[in-house]
Amino acid sequence: MSTEGVRIRIAGVGKEFGALRVFQNIDLEIGEREIVSIVGPSGCGKTTLLRCIDGLVKPTEGEIRIDGTAVTGPPRGVAVVFQHFGLFPWKTVYENVAYGLRLAKAPKEHIRESVPRHIELVGLKGFEKAYPYQLSGGMQQRTGLARALATDPHVLLMDEPFASIDAQTREILQFELLRIWESRPMSMVFVTHSIEEAVLMGDRVVVLRGRPSSVHEVIETGLPRPRTRDVLSSPRFNEVRDHVWSRLMHEAEQAERELQEVR
Amino acid sequence: MTSVPHAVAYPRPWRLGAGTQRTLIRIGTGVLLLVLWEVLVRWLAPPFVARPVTVARALPHVLANHVPAGTPTFWGSVEATVIAVFEGLAIGVTGGALVGLTMGRLRTADRLLRFYVSAFFAMPIIALVPVMTLWFGYSNTVRLAIVSLGAFLPVCLNVYDGTRSVPSSFVEVAQSYHARWWNVWFGIALPSSLPYLLAGFRLAVGRVLVGAVVAEYIVNLKGLGSMIVFDSRTFHQPQMMVAVLVLAVLGVAINGVADLATRRFLPWYRRSE
Repeated sequence: MSTEGVRIRIAGVGKEFGALRVFQNIDLEIGEREIVSIVGPSGCGKTTLLRCIDGLVKPTEGEIRIDGTAVTGPPRGVAVVFQHFGLFPWKTVYENVAYGLRLAKAPKEHIRESVPRHIELVGLKGFEKAYPYQLSGGMQQRTGLARALATDPHVLLMDEPFASIDAQTREILQFELLRIWESRPMSMVFVTHSIEEAVLMGDRVVVLRGRPSSVHEVIETGLPRPRTRDVLSSPRFNEVRDHVWSRLMHEAEQAERELQEVR
Repeated sequence: MTSVPHAVAYPRPWRLGAGTQRTLIRIGTGVLLLVLWEVLVRWLAPPFVARPVTVARALPHVLANHVPAGTPTFWGSVEATVIAVFEGLAIGVTGGALVGLTMGRLRTADRLLRFYVSAFFAMPIIALVPVMTLWFGYSNTVRLAIVSLGAFLPVCLNVYDGTRSVPSSFVEVAQSYHARWWNVWFGIALPSSLPYLLAGFRLAVGRVLVGAVVAEYIVNLKGLGSMIVFDSRTFHQPQMMVAVLVLAVLGVAINGVADLATRRFLPWYRRSE
């Protein structure tokens, strides 16, 4: 554990959808100022695990605690950034960013102060009155990020947030997110199917594997913070990336072989 | 406000703009129909049958309420029908949206009601007018009931469809931000069904006009419907045609205002996805 206190405690968590067991025996602790990346093959349940942490999905077994309180529904102080952005097309950027605060019945003065500040933080100043359809994918996800941050969360759950964004924009957003995180470190769970992204973002990378999947390995990336573009060319980054890659490729090849046999 | 990007049209100097062209064609068709009507009536019909020229001649008199004694006054009829139409739309659209929303979000309400709403929707509502005169007497209530029902059914079914197809991602986001059920109903499901509601509203406008006019025919209520019946039976055909035109204009106008309001207040509509 690289950081002080534990914020999220996942103990023996498993999830079944009917007869399908998605994952089991997940034990994981995430620190107050730690970014944990979760990677795994498609269908391994990484997104479902994230939903369990947010209380949107109830695990079949085990327990998740945030700050010592068991998660039974979406907890306070936890915000999610979704792969599908989840912006409301009938709301402007401003209103989308204000959504969480309005639902929480935040005081008007607080909303008036916080929303523009977060819009500026994600680099969308001037687009307050734009509608989602007028924005590029990258700008839409900036809005999604601002909406999450505006609620001042101490846990940020990232559900493949940059998966549907073009490569260059993705890289820009990754480093912007890191920059924002440096200015207000918090507990972050970053689900991704990109190994590079997992290594770049995380203090630790959790590899899910198997069917049903479980934690196969937890790798300390040991990369320095604040992270800059230099990290991408560092030997340590390549080493960790190749390690995670080999862990996942092994599984992918096996799955491929099984499919061949079935055919 | 950031400007909405749209395709740049390059007008060619020797050609009219596409919009002007379309308007000219539309006007041309109208003029052609009027000429045809005038010619055919002059050629084939007895003199009391309305033609564009006699209608135009009658128009100023009708608009000034200078109608022969004993015939229904024009503005009184317009007022009665228009008020009934707007009352019916207000009641029917509000009720339809609420019931449609409830059916879309609550499985019990869906099972209880949808079959009957669909059945009523498929049935011609004006078939109920005689029954309603038994219930409500020969009163304005019959017309109000018919127009309200006429607006209610299409809006209800369309909003139902809309709330059934709310992207689950929207609901998920709302829940993750601690939305309660009423936040999901009125903050997510209803706005996301607005395109469906508008489609229902268009159908409602047509049904409400038909309902109002037919109720006025049958129950003989003051309004454009009874004015049409009376004028045609008393051989005041040009006068009658003015009432018919007003009904046409009313339908087009209500939908036009709805279109304008959509563009003004729902700029995201049909631009999302």
